[in-house]
Amino acid sequence: MAEFSVIGKRLPMVDAPEKVTGAGLYTDDLALPGMLVGKILHSPHPHARIRRIDTSKAEALPGVRAVVTGREFPNKYGILPIGHDETAFAVDKVRYIGDNVAGVAAESEEAARQALALIEVDYEILPAWFDAEETMKAESNWIHDEKPHNIEKEYHHNFGDVEAALAAADVVRSERFVCPEVTHAAMEPHSTLATYEGGRVTVWSSTQVPYYLHRTLSNVLAMPMEQIRVIKPLIGGGFGGKSEVCPLEVQAACLARKAGAPVKITYTREEVFYAHRGRPQQIVELTMGATRDGRITAVKARIVQDGGAFCGYGPVTILYSGALLGAMYDIPNLQFDGYRVLTNKPACGAMRGHGTVNTRFAFESLLDMVAEELKIDPVEIRRRNLLKPPCLTVNQLRVTSYGYPECIEKVAARARWTEKKGKLPFGRGMGFAGSHYVSGAANAINRSEMPHTTINLRAEADGTVTLFTGASEIGQGSDTIQVQLVAEELGIDLERVKLVAADTDRTPIDLGSYSSRVTFMAGNACLEAARNLKKKMCEALAKRWGVPVEELESRRGRFYHRNGTGKSMSFEEAAAVSIEEFGALEATGAYSPPKEAQGGKFKGAGVGPSPSYSYSAQAVEVTVDPETGQVKVDRITVAHDCGRALNPITVEGQVIGSVWMGLGQAVQEEMLYNQGRIMNPSMLEYKVPSTLESPPVDCLIVESIDPEGPLGAKEAGEGSLAATIPALANAVYDAVGVRITSLPITPEKILRALREKEKKKAAGNGGAP
Amino acid sequence: MTKESIQLKVNGQRYDVAVPPNKLLLDLLREDLRLTGSKRGCDDSSCGCCTVLVDGVPQLSCVMLAASYQDVEITTIEGVARNGELTPLQEGFCVEGGAQCGFCTPGIILVAKALLERNPNPTREEMAAALSGNLCRCTGYEQIYLSIEHAIKKLQTAPLEAVPGDD
Amino acid sequence: MSLPPFALLRPRALEEALGHLAQHGSEAMIIAGGTDVVPNLRAGLFAPRALVDIKGLTDLKGISFDAESGLRIGALTTLTEIAESPIVREHYSVLAEAAATVASPVLRNMGTLGGNLCLETRCLWYNQSYTWRSSCGFCLKKDGDVCHVAPGGQRCWAVWSSDTAPALLTLEAELGIASPRGARWLPLDQFYKNDGMDRMRLAKDEIVTGVRVPARTAGLRGSYSKLRVRNAIDYPLAGLAVAMKLEDGVCRSACVALTGVNPAPLLVRDVPKALEGQRYSAERVEEAAQAVIRTGKPLKTSVSTPEYRRDILRVFARRALTRLWANGSGKH
Repeated sequence: MAEFSVIGKRLPMVDAPEKVTGAGLYTDDLALPGMLVGKILHSPHPHARIRRIDTSKAEALPGVRAVVTGREFPNKYGILPIGHDETAFAVDKVRYIGDNVAGVAAESEEAARQALALIEVDYEILPAWFDAEETMKAESNWIHDEKPHNIEKEYHHNFGDVEAALAAADVVRSERFVCPEVTHAAMEPHSTLATYEGGRVTVWSSTQVPYYLHRTLSNVLAMPMEQIRVIKPLIGGGFGGKSEVCPLEVQAACLARKAGAPVKITYTREEVFYAHRGRPQQIVELTMGATRDGRITAVKARIVQDGGAFCGYGPVTILYSGALLGAMYDIPNLQFDGYRVLTNKPACGAMRGHGTVNTRFAFESLLDMVAEELKIDPVEIRRRNLLKPPCLTVNQLRVTSYGYPECIEKVAARARWTEKKGKLPFGRGMGFAGSHYVSGAANAINRSEMPHTTINLRAEADGTVTLFTGASEIGQGSDTIQVQLVAEELGIDLERVKLVAADTDRTPIDLGSYSSRVTFMAGNACLEAARNLKKKMCEALAKRWGVPVEELESRRGRFYHRNGTGKSMSFEEAAAVSIEEFGALEATGAYSPPKEAQGGKFKGAGVGPSPSYSYSAQAVEVTVDPETGQVKVDRITVAHDCGRALNPITVEGQVIGSVWMGLGQAVQEEMLYNQGRIMNPSMLEYKVPSTLESPPVDCLIVESIDPEGPLGAKEAGEGSLAATIPALANAVYDAVGVRITSLPITPEKILRALREKEKKKAAGNGGAP
Repeated sequence: MTKESIQLKVNGQRYDVAVPPNKLLLDLLREDLRLTGSKRGCDDSSCGCCTVLVDGVPQLSCVMLAASYQDVEITTIEGVARNGELTPLQEGFCVEGGAQCGFCTPGIILVAKALLERNPNPTREEMAAALSGNLCRCTGYEQIYLSIEHAIKKLQTAPLEAVPGDD
Repeated sequence: MSLPPFALLRPRALEEALGHLAQHGSEAMIIAGGTDVVPNLRAGLFAPRALVDIKGLTDLKGISFDAESGLRIGALTTLTEIAESPIVREHYSVLAEAAATVASPVLRNMGTLGGNLCLETRCLWYNQSYTWRSSCGFCLKKDGDVCHVAPGGQRCWAVWSSDTAPALLTLEAELGIASPRGARWLPLDQFYKNDGMDRMRLAKDEIVTGVRVPARTAGLRGSYSKLRVRNAIDYPLAGLAVAMKLEDGVCRSACVALTGVNPAPLLVRDVPKALEGQRYSAERVEEAAQAVIRTGKPLKTSVSTPEYRRDILRVFARRALTRLWANGSGKH
């Protein structure tokens, strides 16, 4: 890596010092003079019409400064242009337990709480829908009148000839997989502080998407965007949970505007579960056909996705679930039928690995079942179905770089696959699986033609450079990566690059931190901006030295005249000269995905295409206690193809963090419901793994050097999550011979399966049942 | 509610504050002293983000009634660095990536500090046990262990006059 | 989220504390480590007018042991101190093991023995916020008149969730209780009522001051097994404590107690009968395990199912007894 000065180095994150001293400020750490406490009244009913709301007693309570209900801000919004079905507060109906009925801003938390109790709401209870498959049969009382049978969206894709291929296959396996809802559980509960002053609204919020929040506030408040400013302070984790506009963000602004004072709302942990937008429950019915030698010939998937009461990212989620059946293996025939349905539960949305995770669990489990039937080693069957990039998949995804084969070999070697698989004593096992993810979506969800990211640079006469970026650091290290890229391209020290980020008054537009897009897109824009800056500096020097600009070049932060004059100048001096020549030294870079990466033309083709895909392979080693069903994960080996590791520390942090989050979903996390009521809305009962269930993760980096990624880089933050779950399921099968097809893979399910197996064995041996 | 005047010792400094009896230490630190490094991550004392040291022992400030902790030394994350200098432990969390989003980091650094003061050379198992009440949603804990190990190494090779532990 | 209002009383002596309790009656609550009381206050489960913070009663702290009179532990001793105490680990290992599994290190640093022995019973339908509970019309235990776990019944099944109580039951511990009427010792076995709503025999003007454990149970072989989803922070979904005495492989005494499955920690009455005077055999162990699952009656009060919790109790019993007994018999 000698060609780079700061790229590829294990560098601390630029914001680490303020995080280890407690000095860094998150939204809830902010306070303003005269700040009021905002509190929300939530619906106790899963589905009810609001006949009447009387807020007069609440308004009369001393200390209460504003009470807001739905009719005052009725403009509808939603993250997708096709799904504007939310309002700041419920207007006519409540659609889940926890839905937003009214908001109060008061001088103390106690007053706000008392005010909530004084709001009188007259509800007409409606029949409610809780089950994904039942809700599709609904003939009346639909959750949204304009969505018949509670079907938000359905998609039917058919590539090649699946039926013919299945008929001709040597082996066909089908299985039904059930994956319950899980949630991000970022450590920071959502928080928003809003002010209304001099006709302007300013919002500090725990958001991954300041730009979308900006647009939504303009819509809901019916104010032009220039009268609104959105600032993102430090974020205590997102994982997708803050990647669409959350109710409190518009509610705080509504309350601030009405009260004419700063209002802060910070969710309780229970409210975080209502706002949620986590990974939806999905029922995945998967069929796979293969030849005798293990070549996959056809894949058919029917997926029903329970998305809760609002659209949110739902259509994108279900489309990812189908589309990313592609771009992993060479599948010549592919069918996908996806249904995103509505139920009277909190709305689901994007969660790390968005849309791909449950499908991948199903696919990689089923692939192992096919391999077993064909007596082919699971690693070998994966080798036999590799893509041959550069290529276009049957569903028109363009794959440019493909480190998956190398990931497979590295993991198999490091985990000692051939020595262990199938050879460990009963109760111990090893499983293998792969996964992948997009490096940003090639098509913007707002269907705009503008660049997905724009970066501005401004140099000072002393050679310091300010990087203006709209991208949202949420703990994943994107600020650091952008600073590194700019410093590298300009050839200057990291310390000389100052960062101004995610403030809509000061920074250009970036679509946000979701779909693993920032390194790839903002990264490319950073490089372009830096190149443009150098170009301007060359122009200034050419003028100063009286030489043609073509004869100038810059290397490692120094500018040279190539043609023998021996003239050269440091970056600082050149910056000063440029400012003298032009008055200011500024440059812009932008990134738009190339047309060739934008996918097909069929309905729903917009989701899935990406300029590039990351790849991951994993081996999970487990010990299963056959008497209790308890699983101990001994070790996970992961190799992740991130194109180029711009900073191995952050790459490893992202990859290990993804694997670990996948592990949580695999064995112990689940949103439990009873009649639409979340039974475990707390950090105590929603079982995020502690240190004691967290195994060592051996992380290997594969660098496929993507032709279009910034210095070859692609995503690192999501692609490794999905493989952990099927690798673990496959390991449990290897250990004790039972195949668990529903998540989480609990001790109880393993024990039950073991008993059924015993029973069958006994029956098969002629013993009594 | 009537307020009571109480005296607290936080990070070596005395504070006189008037608080109602139901004021939790966490809220007092954040709201009255503006020491916002201690975080609230849950409402049922299960996440560990609000951990502070009480006479050197990690405890949760979200279950502590402020008025009941007047005769003890409280240390928050703001009291760890000395004269603006990061300690080896804080440095470890920077260079090894132990802090991603940073929200659990204050609590985890304080628990690690207390651990190293009792046991300057803990094993991975001992670190995991000590940190088992502090949830982190970003790291999978691996880089947290590396961060602590950075500090251990640095403290072991520190010159003799250095104070043992993390101070 | 802040707490509801209350007066905070911080007595420095036991008499003073008892005086406060006598004065405020049922409107007062005792707080020590706060790890159980504070989250419950926040959820609106308790609404005392006065909290009596007894942390200042320094006499109630500490561990002592002598071979004649056995072990004494003050009510304010923290769970960390018990788990790490060389005395407890040497002579009453089941108690040290149990204390070490409570919640998490940060919580054990605060939580006290007295608090753990008086822990509020728990249920998924009870340990929720006021808003949450109001959405289902509350429950029998608090503010409502229906039990969601066993609808139709008038009994509350909120579950006993302390880890140290079953350990102390197997050690025949007695509880020290002080009141304006004086001090008394009550066998721990008689302290619990097995009623989710009214869990223990402690009058409103009484304070638990500590426990004493007889010398005769010192040195017993002991073990504590705990079922939970997460290996830290969590309450027991099922817990099983064993203490037994062996002489030349013959069981001289055996005690098994359960937690996490009934509204009280319960001794399994049929265990001594099944094991005492016997040599190790798989049949004897199985008989004890059957007695265990006759006593443990888990219902749907937690995130795990009753069936699984029963299954695990049986495995716990089998394994613990086999480990303690078979080894002691020189087998395996």
